[in-house]
Amino acid sequence: MTFDLDLIVLYLPDIVRALGVTILLWLAGSALGLLVGFLIAVARRYGPRWLDWALLAPVELIRGTPFLVQIFLLYYGGPFIGLSLDSITAGLLGLTIYGAAYYSELWRSGFVAIPKGHVEAAQCVGLNRTQTLRRIILPEMTMLLLPSMVNMTILMLKETAILSIISVPELTLAVSALGTKYYAFVEGFAILALVYWALVEACSALGRYAESRLSKYRFAVS
Amino acid sequence: MSWKLFWLLVEAARLTILLSVISVSIGFLLSSLVCAAVMSTHRSARIAGKLFVSFFRGTPLLVQLLLIYYLLPQIGLNVPSEVAAIVGMSLCTAAYQAEILRGGFSSVPRGLIEAANMCGFSKFAIFRRIRLPIAVQLTIPALISEAIMMLKSSSLVSVVGVVELSRMAQDLAASTYRPLELFAAAGLIYLIINLVVAGFGLQLEKRMQWGRT
Amino acid sequence: MSAKPAIKVEKLVKRFGKTTVLEGIDLAVERGQVTCLIGPSGSGKSTLLRCIALLEEANEGFIEINGEPLGFASGPNGERVRLPSSETQKVRAHIGMVFQQFNLWPHMTALGNVTEALVTVRRMLRKDAEQRAMTQLSNVGLSDRAGHYPSELSGGQQQRVAIARALALDPDIMLFDEPTSSLDPELTGEVLAVMRDLAESGMTMLVVTHEIGFAASVGSKIVFLDQGKLIVEGKPEEVFGKPRHERIDQFLDTYLDRGAATLL
Ligand SMILES: Nc1ncnc2c1ncn2[C@@H]1O[C@H](COP(=O)(O)OP(=O)(O)OP(=O)(O)O)[C@@H](O)[C@H]1O
Ligand SMILES: [Mg+2]
Repeated sequence: MTFDLDLIVLYLPDIVRALGVTILLWLAGSALGLLVGFLIAVARRYGPRWLDWALLAPVELIRGTPFLVQIFLLYYGGPFIGLSLDSITAGLLGLTIYGAAYYSELWRSGFVAIPKGHVEAAQCVGLNRTQTLRRIILPEMTMLLLPSMVNMTILMLKETAILSIISVPELTLAVSALGTKYYAFVEGFAILALVYWALVEACSALGRYAESRLSKYRFAVS
Repeated sequence: MSWKLFWLLVEAARLTILLSVISVSIGFLLSSLVCAAVMSTHRSARIAGKLFVSFFRGTPLLVQLLLIYYLLPQIGLNVPSEVAAIVGMSLCTAAYQAEILRGGFSSVPRGLIEAANMCGFSKFAIFRRIRLPIAVQLTIPALISEAIMMLKSSSLVSVVGVVELSRMAQDLAASTYRPLELFAAAGLIYLIINLVVAGFGLQLEKRMQWGRT
Repeated sequence: MSAKPAIKVEKLVKRFGKTTVLEGIDLAVERGQVTCLIGPSGSGKSTLLRCIALLEEANEGFIEINGEPLGFASGPNGERVRLPSSETQKVRAHIGMVFQQFNLWPHMTALGNVTEALVTVRRMLRKDAEQRAMTQLSNVGLSDRAGHYPSELSGGQQQRVAIARALALDPDIMLFDEPTSSLDPELTGEVLAVMRDLAESGMTMLVVTHEIGFAASVGSKIVFLDQGKLIVEGKPEEVFGKPRHERIDQFLDTYLDRGAATLL
């Protein structure tokens, strides 16, 4: 009836493995989403106009619908269009697509926010396009986007819990299974919540630390 | 996909809208209290408010819903799963809205408050006549985004057995073996609702603008 | 005229953390006079004004308004005794303030800005309050802009509304903190004209300004603040006329192109 210490010790390896899956999916999904999102943002800003329009629809579709429905569509609907994926792959792909849509909007807001004068000033002192991007635009954008990027990445972690619904063997699924086995849902989910909470707090602490390290840029940006 | 199936989804979407509207409204009332706690001069109230915000923003809504769904009966509250869903969603959105409101209040320019001080306003009058209306105007875009977020998140209450839009789509997909069409249709309905809310938000923003910009 | 000065500042000290911004200021502003506070940037002019308005609390010293202590009273042994806030509010009601950034409430029209305090603080009927507000607005030449929101007014118009808002509460002392500093040059004139009228009507004014021309022509007294200390005080012709204090000379040099040339 209760989730006593022995049980936790007994199932600790399982739980740790599931935690590993959660963290791996989270980091991989965020990294891929960040990258694809960046490519989308660059394509929309610097590519031809039709590309911007072509990318607008999928981005808004993803941002306008629940992650759960997207995952269902991919996992259960995929096989009907010849896309049979196991749950982990579907989960990672789903996270990546979902993340890419949101991250691309953040990147775009970053491009817009950098004053044109800064770029012009860089060109005036003789920096070429790549140099301008690397030495001026990216550092300024990092500072500008860091808080919202950290927020989005935290959201990605929380969304991994939803993957339990398509039976990705991650943390929430593992704890639910244990809960069912011993009928100890409340204890299980309480501990589960604490684990996520700790991860989120750690992530935002890291974000704050990075922000303080980068704050020497702040004057230049604001 | 037949119209009949689509119509069933639309019927279920009514519950989605209802749950979201109720939760966002309760959440707004709760969030004012939480925001007041976070900004209060009492240390313990501040700490409690911050813990609330941090916990409900720091854990997945899915886990919160599951926890609340199983916790309520254990403390002697045998309520329908819809109520558990509303409790979970309200608490979660309250945390987010409280953070939004706090941000709004702290972006009211100090000078406006000093001007009111010079005119002899009481603290309460400053709050009611100056800080509140300006903070509300500043936070409307973020509050609308949060409402849209909750609309999408309401799909998660399907796990505690509430047959709203996404659950109806799941059930129908299972019985008709046509997941592709059903989930696409469900997604479309979510999208339409969100577009309507976003349009309403823009309208509201425009109405709340004082003078031209 | 009563013997008590309108504003009396005694040994005022203000610190922000470790930096001392005001190092023992003594100042008296006589009733019905215009006192202009000048000095380089960062010398503590705004801080002094904000202490008198009680927007900042001084760390040492005393302030009296019309002979009544503001914020702190002097105890039997010269120690500072904090006064109840109701008392303080009563004394502070004698003071109106105009800010560099106007600080008009953006969600109210010009009329609303002037009416607001009359209704919420003075508990006047809205109809009477609006009538009084309209009078004030027409005194600053803006009766035709009453229904406009601040975002629909020019800087100069906004500042004139801010002056009307302060005057509607019938203060007997007006504080101005660089009222024209955030205005385009062609808009400063209309604000200075309103202030000139106000001075002629006998209002007691303490004005922080970089408009040396205004200070010289309207000011009854010039006070020069430098690094938190009041170093020169006197009639405009004494302060600006030759021979001049060396710091004033340097200060005026930097303002040569801002209308101060006429004084040299
Ligand atoms: N809230 C504050 N916290 C810390 N330091 C402050 C604060 N307000 C003012 N100061 C410091 O006090 C000093 C005096 O500032 P003050 O604004 O009174 O100068 P000022 O004479 O009005 O200058 P200006 O002509 O630029 O308006 C400055 O060095 C300023 O940095
Ligand atoms: Mg100043």
